[in-house]
Amino acid sequence: MAQGRKGKLNYRCPRCLMREIDMDMLYDRDKDEYYCLRCSFVGNEEEVLRLNAQFREKYRDRARRITDF
Amino acid sequence: MTFYVTIIHRPEMVPEYLQKGAEQGKREDLTRQEVIQESLDIFRTQQQIAHENGLRTTIQMTYASLFNEEAVALAKEHHEKYGDEIGSTFLGIQCQQFREKFKSKELAIWLFSMEDKRRIVDEVMGKFYEVFGFYPTSTGSYYMDAELVNYIKERYPMIKVAVATCWEEGPKAYHNANNSWYTLHDGSPWNPWIPSKRNIHCPASDEEDDIGIVAIPHLSRDLMAVFDGPGSYYGTHPQNILRGMVYEGREIPYFMNLVDQYRAQAKYNRGYAYNMMFVGPGWMSKSGRWEADYDFLLKAYKDGMAYYGQLKKEGKAQDVTMSEFAEIYRRDRPYTRPECALWKDILYGSKRQQFWYVDPWMRVCLDMNQGGAMIDLRPYAAKLIRPCGVGTKCLQDASYPFLVQSLYRAGYFTHYAGEGAVKSCKFGHQDEVVDLCTCRTLASFSEEGDTRIVTLDPVEIEFADFTIRVQSVFRFAEGTGEIEMIRRIIETTDPQAEVTIDEYITACYGTTEYPEDLTGVKLTVTGTSGTESIEYAYKCREAEVAGVTLAEAIVPQVDTRLTMRTDATDAIGYFREGFAFSPMYTIGIRKTVVGKGELRTWLKVEKAS
Repeated sequence: MAQGRKGKLNYRCPRCLMREIDMDMLYDRDKDEYYCLRCSFVGNEEEVLRLNAQFREKYRDRARRITDF
Repeated sequence: MTFYVTIIHRPEMVPEYLQKGAEQGKREDLTRQEVIQESLDIFRTQQQIAHENGLRTTIQMTYASLFNEEAVALAKEHHEKYGDEIGSTFLGIQCQQFREKFKSKELAIWLFSMEDKRRIVDEVMGKFYEVFGFYPTSTGSYYMDAELVNYIKERYPMIKVAVATCWEEGPKAYHNANNSWYTLHDGSPWNPWIPSKRNIHCPASDEEDDIGIVAIPHLSRDLMAVFDGPGSYYGTHPQNILRGMVYEGREIPYFMNLVDQYRAQAKYNRGYAYNMMFVGPGWMSKSGRWEADYDFLLKAYKDGMAYYGQLKKEGKAQDVTMSEFAEIYRRDRPYTRPECALWKDILYGSKRQQFWYVDPWMRVCLDMNQGGAMIDLRPYAAKLIRPCGVGTKCLQDASYPFLVQSLYRAGYFTHYAGEGAVKSCKFGHQDEVVDLCTCRTLASFSEEGDTRIVTLDPVEIEFADFTIRVQSVFRFAEGTGEIEMIRRIIETTDPQAEVTIDEYITACYGTTEYPEDLTGVKLTVTGTSGTESIEYAYKCREAEVAGVTLAEAIVPQVDTRLTMRTDATDAIGYFREGFAFSPMYTIGIRKTVVGKGELRTWLKVEKAS
């Protein structure tokens, strides 16, 4: 197995992020996948981005400009 | 209305990410030129963005930057050209010179021993004077304990302002950082305050108690999101917001929403509102951070600063340096004046509101999602002397203790057994009981002289045979340390029905999620029928008296006396001891009315000793 390295961006583990833990992942160049040292998440960049988009969905007002206070 | 904005930049020569060795494959080298140069470039970029938007800054020189001629020259130039303030900070102390002098890798000023704190203060201030020929009037860190600030004031009385705490950066921040970020200091005000000499979290009671500086928080946080989430996701720090992923595409309207919500707080604070923005260079790394590439980091910063600049151009914001702000703040700030915030959700799409209140006696949060239940209560009146750092009992735990923190200690909802910490009111009829915690509502704010009033929209409570409508009113009389709570049945479908109104507080004490030993807490209730009193021993004891005049809990562990009284002559007072699986104590006052009626009680927080 290859040495885990930092990816091109410091992608956090999307599963740990769901429970609000910021956990940087390591990148396996041979398998082109990221993995987490804390939980058992493993996935490629596409999977990470998919789950990150899912994480953002909880912010229903993330794209809304609110001016009524 | 005046909305003050303080922009702070720090030339941090050796960012925290380098100390962590995050630059993979390289040994730690505090003198590596390319890192120092990058940090300096980021600082220069931040300054440029502020100035392009017509905003002045406070440049907080780190200890490391005092050895860098370019950083010093930039600070002097920007002071001359733009009127920026040159201050000092205890962040960014780590550098080769520090390591050689203090032989430590510690990065948090508040965690050194008191002896080391004194030595470091003298070294930092001495070096600053050597470089600039004057002492700074502003300083700061993520946390500045009272003992540290007292020493600074004694030796360097010209210091008038400090970045003193990060709001609610406690266990939540620790967990968020994979249990490795030791900024455990929950429990402060969210907006500037004049701290007590005894504990930095507490607003000073009077001139004798005044520590001599104005404290400002590290960032202006989202008061709802950060109470239940990581502080480093939701604040006036664009890169924090990227960390929290509160964006769509590359747009972050949340930043402007947050700023505008802070501006709106002027309605509750006699025309005054405040914001501070403070982004260290490490957050704008050229190699990107938190899934965001450098272009996005830069855009976020530019957008944030542009909004402050726009507000200034429109006459809706006033940019002030830290020391200027301190002078303005002291000019019109009686010690007893509270800070209020009627906050609403701007993230999750709910209409939820919370009301935050701070004065020298207490910090309180009411949650309108739970019928106005009190979900946070900090007894500032106790002015607890709680030194932190190496050699102290508290060590890293610099939080100010709570009596109620419903997220750390359950609140209304517990798992099948026991009780959680919350202050609320129950309405009962025969064997039916409804807690206001289950009645969502909204609130409005008003003032009568020096009394701040939070009035909740009425809620409907359905019993099996009839319905009542109930309104809650909270009155905070300035300078009393008391909150008056009125629970009023304003309508009923059965004018003959008996209803009990039961105002209670279930509390504990602590600074984290984990229980503390309640042994020795004294519960007393006094009425016309006599007095009952116990010392807490987890024995599940209960007592009540008729014609209650006072219900009281004395918590010696946090030197606090918590009392409830009423103006009703026919009410029952009670206390309830908990047990080990439910480590709480409850005091309460209960009254029965027929048809409509009300119960009026006062909650008071005092120093016990």
